[in-house]
Amino acid sequence: MLSLKLAWRNLFRNTRRTLLTCMLITSSLVVIILVDGIMLGMIDVMVGGITKTLEGEAQVNQKGFRENFEPELFLNDPDAITAALAADERVSGHAPRVIIGGMIASPYNTTGGLIYGVDATSELGVSRLQEATIEGEYLTGAKREILLGKLMGELLEVSLGDRIIITAAQVDTAEITQELFRVTGFFEFGPEEMDQTLAFINLSAAQPLLGMDGHVHQIAVQFVDPEDAKNKALPTLTRLNQGNVEALGWLDLQPSIGGMIEMSSYASAIVGAVLFILTSLGVINSMFMSIYERIYEFGVAKAIGTTPRQIIALVLFEAFFLALMACAFGVLLGYLASSYFESNGIPMGRMEMSGVLLDGNMHTEVRAYQFVAFPIYVTLLTVAAAIYPAVFASRIVPSQALQRAL
Amino acid sequence: MKTVIETKNLVRKFGEAQTQVTALSNVSTHIEEGEFTAIIGPSGSGKTTLLQLIGGLDEPDSGDVFLSGTNIANMSGRQLSDFRRDHIGFIFQSYNLIPVLSAQENIEYIMLLQGIDEKDRKTRVQEMLALVGLEGLGDRRPAQLSGGQQQRVAVARAMASKPDIILADEPTANLDSTTGIALLDMMRDLNAQMNMTFVFSTHDQKIMDRADRLIHLEDGIVHLDEIRNS
Repeated sequence: MLSLKLAWRNLFRNTRRTLLTCMLITSSLVVIILVDGIMLGMIDVMVGGITKTLEGEAQVNQKGFRENFEPELFLNDPDAITAALAADERVSGHAPRVIIGGMIASPYNTTGGLIYGVDATSELGVSRLQEATIEGEYLTGAKREILLGKLMGELLEVSLGDRIIITAAQVDTAEITQELFRVTGFFEFGPEEMDQTLAFINLSAAQPLLGMDGHVHQIAVQFVDPEDAKNKALPTLTRLNQGNVEALGWLDLQPSIGGMIEMSSYASAIVGAVLFILTSLGVINSMFMSIYERIYEFGVAKAIGTTPRQIIALVLFEAFFLALMACAFGVLLGYLASSYFESNGIPMGRMEMSGVLLDGNMHTEVRAYQFVAFPIYVTLLTVAAAIYPAVFASRIVPSQALQRAL
Repeated sequence: MKTVIETKNLVRKFGEAQTQVTALSNVSTHIEEGEFTAIIGPSGSGKTTLLQLIGGLDEPDSGDVFLSGTNIANMSGRQLSDFRRDHIGFIFQSYNLIPVLSAQENIEYIMLLQGIDEKDRKTRVQEMLALVGLEGLGDRRPAQLSGGQQQRVAVARAMASKPDIILADEPTANLDSTTGIALLDMMRDLNAQMNMTFVFSTHDQKIMDRADRLIHLEDGIVHLDEIRNS
């Protein structure tokens, strides 16, 4: 107890130095908490951009379909899959889709694009197509409705109500077929590629047009708990993985995003490591200054029988208390800063990353572990940084330290 | 009488080659239990070096130091540390006390190192404070005590561990003469009352007058060993 008291009181022998070192450790902790919050926020936006915009948290496709969107690779028994998904309480929504490449022509221009045939009602539960419809109306189920991307609309020079002709090859006969639609709305997902190349029509219109009555290419899925989508052993998905059918979560569907997430966790670790090195140097410097100021005292302490181990423990306790104080401030400031940016966001401007639009403010994410695990790491690392000065102090030779005193 | 300290042919040199200085040259002496001995001599005569070797704070280049029959010259660092803690009390000239601990905590500290339980420590702290005439001042930190009071706390701390011998290097050097003499008188009383062995160095005539025995050092050699009012 007296040793702890001694260590605690030693911290306040030079209050200014202790406060400066404390601020250094506190700042590092706050930055680590903020960086992690920003990374989580960014990952959340990116994952949300992928899974909530159109792709869904998971998809059921025929194997190979996603590689080139070959029209003949459709699901043979979508009703069974739909029934299984409907019966699974983990699933919050699922939507069947027909997806085919074709020519999209207006009276003024023509472009190639990817045409999605969707069930207007089911689609509400898996994508934000309705929310992204910025002009006109969302699909109602009427036969000739078509939603165009905003950029595609500009390219085709069409406005609401204008005629659109879709030309595509029928899946069953490979014959070219055409159908007339009327522009009912324009959507804007954000990423340029999506807004320039996608068009949505009703599933009921797409299936006869493409000669695939009763069949779909894809069933997009959303879960009640988004974490379920990352679970490769989730029964919801594994049960459906039979024969030519593959049911995959977004991590498998978008491995590049998974890579980016992994990379961002490395980025957090790198930022943390750089901060730790800088903080460690500060802690080492501060501890050495403190030891040099007390060199006679250590000489006396060793002379009267304090063992090197007890000296090491004393210096490490000082570092521990320093870290505890710094972490208390760091947790408080980190929470306040992170909570502020969680509510108000950090202005990031508009940029597109891996097909995901980051627009406006980046909202940090506040998680409990940031205020438990990070302070523990910082405390351990501060104590680790103090090992070198502590060993130095333990090796002070009493007769040399006391040269002027004894 | 029991011999507490015995040195045999102690040699201690500092520096190398041409700059080498012989601080002690073949010093052989012994100190008996209950003696109140002063090591005297001019500056650079080797007083501090001899006290450091006796106290196990330094190692001789050759020769032996026996403390209560144990040769401490061959002990490891850890053994020496434990030996100093349990057998030797130190009083230094200055920087004696830990400034962030109160007087009683400074006295208690050495007993904590000895592993004495808290109840006994507290009891003995009060005894020691009473012994050096500092009752009621135990809560004060060193900065709140006068120089003489600080040295009394140092004496109390040195005695608290119940050592075989107390070594003091110029314990009065930073005190005015009246306070210095008062401190020496107190040490003298403790020596008489408790048969505690004291060895101290000084070059102050008034202080050395209070010693039973004077070991005169000059250029690292025992010039004269004088038994006085024993």
